Amino acid sequence: MDPRDLRLRRLTYRLIVELGRAPTAAETAAAGAMAEAGVARGWQRLHDQHALVLDAETAAIRMANPFSAVPTPYRVLAGGRSWHANCAWDAFGTCAALHVDGRIETSCADCGDALHVAVVNRLPDDESRASIASFPRTGGGTTSSSPEAR
Amino acid sequence: MGRHRLHLKRDELFRSEEHIERWLDGRAPGATISVGTLCDLAHAWWGDRLAEDWLPRTREENQAILERLGLTGEFWLLA
Repeated sequence: MDPRDLRLRRLTYRLIVELGRAPTAAETAAAGAMAEAGVARGWQRLHDQHALVLDAETAAIRMANPFSAVPTPYRVLAGGRSWHANCAWDAFGTCAALHVDGRIETSCADCGDALHVAVVNRLPDDESRASIASFPRTGGGTTSSSPEAR
Repeated sequence: MGRHRLHLKRDELFRSEEHIERWLDGRAPGATISVGTLCDLAHAWWGDRLAEDWLPRTREENQAILERLGLTGEFWLLA
């Protein structure tokens, strides 16, 4: 990955943590003393390298894994903020990325009953240990293993 | 089935194996892991995401993370 793109990616993630949401291109440009058009072009390159995901219509950040910029069924309370994650894996990943304890609020994909998992010291609470995560055999979606270009 | 990619947006949490079977309704299962293993995987996978010196990992590095957690076999082979 190009050093310029790495810098923009680092700035973008820093702003996500500071703001508790995805920054706009204007906010990122201001924080990085860059032109807004340059941020937009850089984000597109990062999108093409699977380092973040842009909204197809607005070109705003939709996902910067493990964070979701749009509401999802996975809400994470961590670091004094409320976040959304793209999936169960990312929900735990939100605590992991922030290096904090947290609480995941979602529901059983089968019955819809609430599923709450507290993450303390990198471990799920005893009460939630009976819960199971299931990865589908097939289907569409963003891939975790798409290598972010080096 | 061959090599495939893990689908980030599609993994789900369930109350128990029984709930997964009912939800699958005869469809082919993928892989199931405990919440504890998922939490370990998340920390190994995403723990460096905000690091100042973060660099993208290679497929081999990602595969090694899975292997360290015992996530081996056809399903966990990354594309």
